[in-house]
Amino acid sequence: MTDVAFSKEWLTDGEKLQIAMQPIKRILLTGGGTAGHVNPALAIGSALATPGTHFLFVGVRGRVEEEVVPREGIPIKFVRASGYPSGLSPKLASFFLNLLIGTLQSIFILLRFRPEVIVGTGGYVSAPVIMAAALLRKIGLSRARIFIHEQNAVPGKLNRLMGRFAHQVFVTFPETLSCFPETGVLSGYPLRRRIARISPEEAKRKIEIKIPEGRKVILAFGGSQGARTINRALVDALGSLLPYRDRLFIIHGVGLFKSSEYNAMEDTEQRLARLYNEEERQAIKEFYLYREFFHDIENLYTISSLVVARGGAGSLNEISAMGLPALIIPKSNLPGDHQVMNARSMERAGGAEILYEQVASVNGKLSETIDGKILAEKLLAMIQDESRLREMSRLNCSFLNQDALVHIERRIRGLKSENGQGAQLRAEGLMHHPQDSLPGNRSLLSLIEKAREKHRNSYRPENVISRPQDLEYLKNRASALLIDSAWQNRNLGIKLLGLLNAKKMIPALLTIFFERKPVSLFKRFLGGDFEQVGFIRRNIIIALVRLNEIAPGVEKALLMGLQDPYYEVRAEAARAAAFFGARLSSPGGFISGLLRLLTDPTIDVTVAAAEALGKLGGEHDALPALLGLWDARRWKIRAAVLRGIVHLVDRGTVSNLKMLEEQAPRFILTSTDFTPQFEIKAAYRHLMESVFREKEKRPAQ
Amino acid sequence: MIYFLGKMLHPKFEQFSYLRLVDYISARSIGAALTAIILTLIITPIFIRYLHRKGLVDQIRETGISSSSDKAGTPAMGGAIVVGCVMVSCLLWCNLLNPFLMTVLLGMVWFGAIGLMDDTAKTRAKSGDRGLSESRKLMLQGAYAALLALYLISPYSPLPHSQLGAFWVPFMKTPLFNSLWLYPLIVFFFVLVVGNSVNITDGLDGLAIVPSVFVLGVLGVFGYLLGNRIWAGYLNYPLIPGTGELAVFSSAFAGAGIGFLWFNAYPAQIFMGDTGALAIGGCMATLSVVLKQEALFLILGGLFLAEVASSQIQDKIGIKWLGRRIFLRAPLHHAMQHKGLAETKVVIRLWIASGILALTALATLKLR
Repeated sequence: MTDVAFSKEWLTDGEKLQIAMQPIKRILLTGGGTAGHVNPALAIGSALATPGTHFLFVGVRGRVEEEVVPREGIPIKFVRASGYPSGLSPKLASFFLNLLIGTLQSIFILLRFRPEVIVGTGGYVSAPVIMAAALLRKIGLSRARIFIHEQNAVPGKLNRLMGRFAHQVFVTFPETLSCFPETGVLSGYPLRRRIARISPEEAKRKIEIKIPEGRKVILAFGGSQGARTINRALVDALGSLLPYRDRLFIIHGVGLFKSSEYNAMEDTEQRLARLYNEEERQAIKEFYLYREFFHDIENLYTISSLVVARGGAGSLNEISAMGLPALIIPKSNLPGDHQVMNARSMERAGGAEILYEQVASVNGKLSETIDGKILAEKLLAMIQDESRLREMSRLNCSFLNQDALVHIERRIRGLKSENGQGAQLRAEGLMHHPQDSLPGNRSLLSLIEKAREKHRNSYRPENVISRPQDLEYLKNRASALLIDSAWQNRNLGIKLLGLLNAKKMIPALLTIFFERKPVSLFKRFLGGDFEQVGFIRRNIIIALVRLNEIAPGVEKALLMGLQDPYYEVRAEAARAAAFFGARLSSPGGFISGLLRLLTDPTIDVTVAAAEALGKLGGEHDALPALLGLWDARRWKIRAAVLRGIVHLVDRGTVSNLKMLEEQAPRFILTSTDFTPQFEIKAAYRHLMESVFREKEKRPAQ
Repeated sequence: MIYFLGKMLHPKFEQFSYLRLVDYISARSIGAALTAIILTLIITPIFIRYLHRKGLVDQIRETGISSSSDKAGTPAMGGAIVVGCVMVSCLLWCNLLNPFLMTVLLGMVWFGAIGLMDDTAKTRAKSGDRGLSESRKLMLQGAYAALLALYLISPYSPLPHSQLGAFWVPFMKTPLFNSLWLYPLIVFFFVLVVGNSVNITDGLDGLAIVPSVFVLGVLGVFGYLLGNRIWAGYLNYPLIPGTGELAVFSSAFAGAGIGFLWFNAYPAQIFMGDTGALAIGGCMATLSVVLKQEALFLILGGLFLAEVASSQIQDKIGIKWLGRRIFLRAPLHHAMQHKGLAETKVVIRLWIASGILALTALATLKLR
């Protein structure tokens, strides 16, 4: 056994003494994937450490824990694990296989290490260990008590399941208690203790970075993995910040993220090289420093005046514990939209400002971005207002429960927490504020659709969402859906943008519309066409009509829509052409497109085209074509043609009315459908109407 | 009851000799049909008023077709009358000890009960979209389907031993295969699909009941012939003793169906609801299975299968997966309405189609 005692340099003597009274000899920590899961595990571990305690960490190879944990002097072992895939897919099989293998590996580890306490901090990493521990307990081969800490407001599927096997589940947010009705305990977020215990002088001494005197330090990072948006925006912002380089110093944690699509470090370097010339890069070096990852972040916090970060619970809790002002760039559309909710909560408390990501098309592809100029302006405005920074700093200090760790430690040691109640109350510092909760995307859609149905003509998004900044955020959140991998979500985003009147997003909608990447052969065989499916293309046209603006590209999209392979898109494009009518700059193209659609095999398309021709066409192109359909087989087409001709006449485009008078009687007027009129239902409606009228007349009681 | 009474009395007493009529399936079939018709004609108006008083009226689903919104407020659960009258008629005219009859009655009642739970849940929630969840329904139906499949291949099966795993196909003189593991699987899925098909077809006034009467009528004829030594021998089918009783059942059902149509014809005063639709689906499926006519149902019940297929393909493959509509509208009858056919026209055209399918299915009796 190669276990090494936990290093506990940051504990005070009093704490060490107190802890020594109830030593736990063998503690197994598990959890990982991101630092957001590893750090709480390490924090809880440090709280439980006594001189004789042996620790073992179980994680997954190749993730953050592989690097971070050994540095803390804790041995680490690896098991197989993978995340629970969404939906039914081949990944599900490999997930179960991994879980099975991981559980078997964990059984061996547990039997050899024989822990008294197991602490899991979530992520899929801890699932096999908890499963194995529960199994061993059941057959009496282990007596380890199982504890779980859930950092997020909305627990993942696996953690929810693991909660059943645990003796106690510590949660950060009170809402989460409902997911663990029997074992849940509100504790708050366990921060590593050493974070709060350093003086600025000591911190300056410890860090190896030389920061010139008189500079304001901005610390920017997107979690251990990094955030693409923050990285790119920060690099973009450097140009605008150049003139202030003698007053600023920016420390940038780029993050460890590496995949075929995005490599945080490489991308940042390339971007720097592409945007700035040699001379500028030299100047930038004077006030900008980037690293893949900072292991001594607590020192950096201590010397910083402002933090730029994501809205994860971990980051916000650390920032708050340090009492730092922050600019939060939350990631939207996460489960429960929790980053945004966290950020808004801190903003309301006064300690932070928020900058939302935008979705915009870059080189014909949509992605989440933040304009570097806007970021630069925001940073300058914040950093230059000394008194406001001090005020924010003060407010953030009192924003958080600092006792989470004490509370958790006491629970694990089996002590009754003296001030358990107090800790619970204070833990509510960072939570969803009930009156602040915004509707989720789907409920927002049904909310708006109901409002629209009620007030057909007077509907405005402002009537549903009263606060302008909320409306702005909801538009933002909806546009973030446009780059979702599931078409159902993209479709939802498109509908929302149209209904929320997000005129700014027209270019993004058009980008999606023009994207013609085909789906797999199998799907095409069954009737699919493009990755941006038929419903998406149809709803984009509907949204363009709702946004009611002929921006550049809209006409091209409509013309393309008239030739779309999916019939609903063709029909909707014809209706849109009729809607924009005289505002179209080149009606000629539309008229010839619509004339082609008169012979469309699908009835909906022909009907829409006939009516649109009435709005756009003239005596020489539209009228003869429409009159030629007098004997169409379907009465719906004949009726639409007649309505189209009515439009032509009403618009005064028909000069030869005598000819029309002669031709019109030819139309076949038989029909295979009728609208029934039930006398009794009419009588009932009359009754209700007269009751309503009478009620109106009488004075209100 | 009348059957047992006749059996008991006519051999012993000269004055009851006319009661030997109960030995004839044809006579009992006519009696059962007439009883069911008269019963439904009497009871339905009373039941309709009762439902209105209790407020148990239909809550229409949002189909997007304008005419269907005019139907809110029509009582559903008419199926309960159909099921009740069939039961009474069978009680009077059938040999209740016949295992085939009991199996079919169980199928009808089981599925009818699921439908009744769904109907009451819907009226209670005041929404046509919020009944029993789809998975719950499928589970309850699946339990019956599995039970039936296992019963029919078990030693307690009423079928002749040589026929346990046999799968018959129209136009062929011998079974396609005889397999004790593949056949129950087919039965299981067959019952689930057919059991729900009537429910999907039941979207327009009178649309489901008439084709159901056709289907059950033809299956009744099959029951009569397959259970008759002479006919089975003549038509070169395996004799299945006892299925003649199913002809009496089918007649009762046809009678009740026609009595129901009296009130359900456009514009309807009552709907059959899930109670009726599932009950009919349940006994249609069970009848086909015990008569070994699963494959024939592709022709006989072609209308029902087209309705199920169109609605499932549209929803599961098109709307949920490919992100487009595959048919203009689904199920089939909504597509016809969307193209501009009036409800009455759609219904009558589909009646004609199902009549042609039923006649074709009858023709397969000799074409082998």
